[in-house]
Amino acid sequence: MMNKQTALQKRYDVLIIGSGVVGSALARELSRYQLNVAVLEKELDVCTETSGRNSGVIHAGFNNKPGSLMAKFCVEGCLGYGVVADEIDIPFSRTGKLVVGFDDEDRKKLQALKEAGEQNGVPGLEIVESDVIRDKAPAILGEMALYSPMTGITNPFLYTVALAENAVQNGVSLWLNHEVTAIEQVDDGYQVQTTQGVFESRWVINCAGLFADRVARMVGIDDYTIYPCRGEYLVLDKELGSQLPLPAYPVPNIREGGLGIHLTPTTDGNILVGPSTDYIDEHTDYGTTRSILDLLMREGRKIFPPLNPSAVIRTFAGVRPKLVSRTTGGYADFVIEHRPETRHFINMVGLESPGLTAAVPIARNVISIIGEYEDLRENPSFNPCREGILSFKDQTPERQESLIHENPDYGVVVCRCEGITQAEILAAIRNPLGVTTLSGIKNRSRAMMGRCQGGYCQIRIAELIMAEQNRSEESVMLARKGSRTFVGKVRPS
Amino acid sequence: MTTQNRSVIIIGGGPAGLAAAAALRQQGVEDILILEREHDLGGILRQCIHDGFGLTRFKEALSGPEYAARFVDTVQQAGIEVMTDITVTELHADRTVVATARSGRYVFKAQAVILAMGCRERTRGAIQIPGSRPAGVYTAGIAQAYMNLKNIMIGRSAVILGSGDIGLIMARRLTLEGASVKGVFEIQPYPSGLPRNITQCLDDYDIPLFLSHTVTAIHGTKRLTGVTVSQVDSSFRPIPDTEKEWTCDTLILSVGLIPENELSKMAGVLLDPRTKGPRVDEHYQTSVAGIFAAGNVLHVHDLVDFVSLEAERLAESVGDYLKQAPADEEAVPVEADPELAYTVPQLVRADRDLTVSCRVRRPLNRVRISIWQNDQKHVTRRFRRAIPAEMIHLTVPKEKLVPGEPLKVVVEHE
Amino acid sequence: MNKTLTCVICPNGCQLTVDYEGVTIQSVEGALCSKGNQYAEQEILDPKRNIASSVRVTGGKAPLVSVRLTGPIPKKKIFDVMAEIRALSVAAPVEIGQVLIADVSGLGQDVIATKRIDRI
Ligand SMILES: Cc1cc2nc3c(=O)[nH]c(=O)nc-3n(C[C@H](O)[C@H](O)[C@H](O)COP(=O)(O)OP(=O)(O)OC[C@H]3O[C@@H](n4cnc5c(N)ncnc54)[C@H](O)[C@@H]3O)c2cc1C
Ligand SMILES: Cc1cc2nc3c(=O)[nH]c(=O)nc-3n(C[C@H](O)[C@H](O)[C@H](O)COP(=O)(O)OP(=O)(O)OC[C@H]3O[C@@H](n4cnc5c(N)ncnc54)[C@H](O)[C@@H]3O)c2cc1C
Ligand code: SF4
Repeated sequence: MMNKQTALQKRYDVLIIGSGVVGSALARELSRYQLNVAVLEKELDVCTETSGRNSGVIHAGFNNKPGSLMAKFCVEGCLGYGVVADEIDIPFSRTGKLVVGFDDEDRKKLQALKEAGEQNGVPGLEIVESDVIRDKAPAILGEMALYSPMTGITNPFLYTVALAENAVQNGVSLWLNHEVTAIEQVDDGYQVQTTQGVFESRWVINCAGLFADRVARMVGIDDYTIYPCRGEYLVLDKELGSQLPLPAYPVPNIREGGLGIHLTPTTDGNILVGPSTDYIDEHTDYGTTRSILDLLMREGRKIFPPLNPSAVIRTFAGVRPKLVSRTTGGYADFVIEHRPETRHFINMVGLESPGLTAAVPIARNVISIIGEYEDLRENPSFNPCREGILSFKDQTPERQESLIHENPDYGVVVCRCEGITQAEILAAIRNPLGVTTLSGIKNRSRAMMGRCQGGYCQIRIAELIMAEQNRSEESVMLARKGSRTFVGKVRPS
Repeated sequence: MTTQNRSVIIIGGGPAGLAAAAALRQQGVEDILILEREHDLGGILRQCIHDGFGLTRFKEALSGPEYAARFVDTVQQAGIEVMTDITVTELHADRTVVATARSGRYVFKAQAVILAMGCRERTRGAIQIPGSRPAGVYTAGIAQAYMNLKNIMIGRSAVILGSGDIGLIMARRLTLEGASVKGVFEIQPYPSGLPRNITQCLDDYDIPLFLSHTVTAIHGTKRLTGVTVSQVDSSFRPIPDTEKEWTCDTLILSVGLIPENELSKMAGVLLDPRTKGPRVDEHYQTSVAGIFAAGNVLHVHDLVDFVSLEAERLAESVGDYLKQAPADEEAVPVEADPELAYTVPQLVRADRDLTVSCRVRRPLNRVRISIWQNDQKHVTRRFRRAIPAEMIHLTVPKEKLVPGEPLKVVVEHE
Repeated sequence: MNKTLTCVICPNGCQLTVDYEGVTIQSVEGALCSKGNQYAEQEILDPKRNIASSVRVTGGKAPLVSVRLTGPIPKKKIFDVMAEIRALSVAAPVEIGQVLIADVSGLGQDVIATKRIDRI
């Protein structure tokens, strides 16, 4: 039941529930039109769930079943990624990718992948032999491989942030810390109840990721269950980074519902090892486990022998929003639907991998559905460009010198491992989305992500957040609501 | 950008850098510059407010800040040039030093560079503790900085992983500030901190110490709610069914320190995999000519008094080096007994008095540690008990040493 | 009666074996120096410790000044002394060695500053 006491906050044309990569891409695509758009997000930052917890690979599209939405949107997303990355100023590199095999059985599977890829329209796929593997990545083992030149790597967090920032710059409202708790169908749309008031909108789009089944149930669509399936990762020190110029995957075991434990360089020069595939009970249980971390080490070494425990600087996990259970196994296709009985509610569930790659085509697909009902007029002031935070350490000495003269904060190194300056931290703290969590600042600036993991800089960053925003110790959050970093002062004044 | 030429550049204004500077000035070296990234000199001692510093050096029980102040005063009285709030970002093998500050980007070229950047702490990632990632997990040194420098209280009930000295000291510090410390868990069968700290930081406050135990999981999605602790077997594997849950809002990690070696590596300095710091000869010269190292950047010390002494020995050699390029006695290795974790120096040229610093790998009772060259025993020290927490020093005068002959540090059980 | 103690006076941390009867110490073994014997006696009769903490500073470049006691106090009085330290607030500037609380809790020791804090 709606609580009629709560003041009606705002009325929109389109309300997006969830600001992962899909919600953020949709917000940006919608801001191209003359529509009043808002995003409701339960967390204190965008990209807190699955979109910030994956391999960051822009897949070419050979792993998906020909004819599926996954295949179509993945191929489109991959081909178009360079343009978007340029517009919103985020790191992207078309590294190519190797899927390595060791025996005849593997060769057959690789051949099958190649054929599926070609059917999907993936350009440039080739079966190569060990000499080519050695040539591309001497540290990678394998007798033969499927080489995909179109595959690339990106920073999934910055991608989502940049999409959301560009959307906000083009007029979209982002409501962080607003969890949707109930939805009621009304005459010309929906009333959406959140933990901080009621919203009304003509259209509601479900981009709630791991909770998309629950949001669907709020409007009466109860035929989906999301089975959370966790993938754990190791993050390696940059020292090994140069030995892995491109992602290296084993031949996937389709039944497992993952692509196998692989090695992926990040756009910052670290390496990710993972993910595992384990069905779990709790949707946001991002804990890592000893046995899986050991497994990652063993499996990773099979294709990348330099991997060793002392290179690990941290671990993390992401959770796949699967529509298939442990017993069914494999993949279900993306669900993107608009049902007659829930008019103007576009339901999206099961947006698992390659959802990061496919986000923009998925968003455009949603807009084409809306376009069947609405007269979409272009927003003449839409600006597709957004600028990221300038990286001081990547500038020439002369430019560094002049930057410091323009803004002395560039002369203060705050994070010594990553070489991040106070000017960059302050730019991150003053981000257009108004996010103030330590993790938010970390992901935007890369401070605290190096091998000391904030040992030196976390204190300064916490101080800068408190000073910039006039905050008390108790209100500094690590990431989620209630993730209090401090309990107060040692000597209260 | 113009390059400034200097005789000596010291990177880091902690006890090692300060002692080296003061000693160099005493030898008459004029052109010394200390570069320190913090606003104040003193290094890690600024946050070590407990007492127990300076007993060897000043025969007094001082706190960290007081110990540091003595050296800061000496450096200032001697008129040694110091730049603070400046971070060295690059070091090259030709002894070019690049640094940034609010006032600009600086490039220096020095005849000799002294590495005195101290150390950093091992983190949760480095020791791979599984579990979720809530707020409330701190390394001991960061916890100490928050509480002692920033007036920020980090938690109300804590579990401490690792029995390093800083962890023990933080157990007491938290207790005095009204937090409850549930226990200290150490994976080794013996504590890694000094016995006096077990007594005065844990026993005095009835804080239990569990040896052969480790944290096997971390709980909580927002703030830490607790940890799972298990007993471990002799190869440090958790023993099934020994898990116990401990409720706490804070986990303090005191699981080791590693020399700060970003700059050392950038300059191409060879590192010793045992100390994780540069490999040096008895002049504290690294594998790169004219680059020297002392203090925690070289190997992790538990007592600052030994840091100062080491830096002073380094200064003597740097002084000689500035006067004349060293007569190139060939450097030969110092072989460490398998019972020893490492030795510093790792190489000797046998052209000055030698001090060897080392640590045993595990606690040993009734041992003799000696330095041998061929079948000549140069020095022996006897220990009723030698423990990893205490650094051991052995000295040999130059006259006894034979150039070109490797040295052996030998441990014998009595 | 026999008791083993760890001397906390210096980093050597000698293991001391004390043989005592009531309040009479019969022997102390294991000390590398005479301070160890004194410590053992004190520890059996009335254990004492020095403590370090911080005092709030107003108008200074740092929010806290580190402090310690001029000498050890009975162990059981530690939390009384902490209460006095916690209640105190001093105005910058503060000098090293400056007495912030004289004769704290009437125990004959002073609380002194161990750091210099300049005025803002
Ligand atoms: C281990 C792993 C590896 C992967 N690797 C890749 C890869 O390499 N390449 C690739 O293309 N894809 C990859 N993926 C898939 C990709 O990460 C996802 O498909 C994509 O991130 C899904 O984005 P999303 O926006 O749908 O979901 P999410 O990022 O989960 O966003 C949903 C948002 O909705 C919010 N929300 C939920 N409920 C509510 C509510 N009631 N009210 C308000 N807000 C709510 C959540 O807080 C969240 O922010 C991987 C996935 C995993 C798990
Ligand atoms: C947390 C902790 C607690 C300790 N407790 C005790 C104790 O109780 N008793 C005891 O006797 N000893 C103790 N020690 C040991 C002793 O204090 C240290 O061994 C000693 O301080 C090391 O001195 P240092 O000069 O090598 O390093 P530090 O004191 O760490 O000084 C290094 C300096 O270099 C600066 N620096 C680093 N990188 C750069 C750069 N790129 N550019 C410019 N400047 C840079 C740093 O800011 C710092 O000021 C403790 C050590 C630690 C780490
Ligand atoms: S007995 Fe003497 S040498 Fe031994 S710990 Fe005590 S003070 Fe130090």
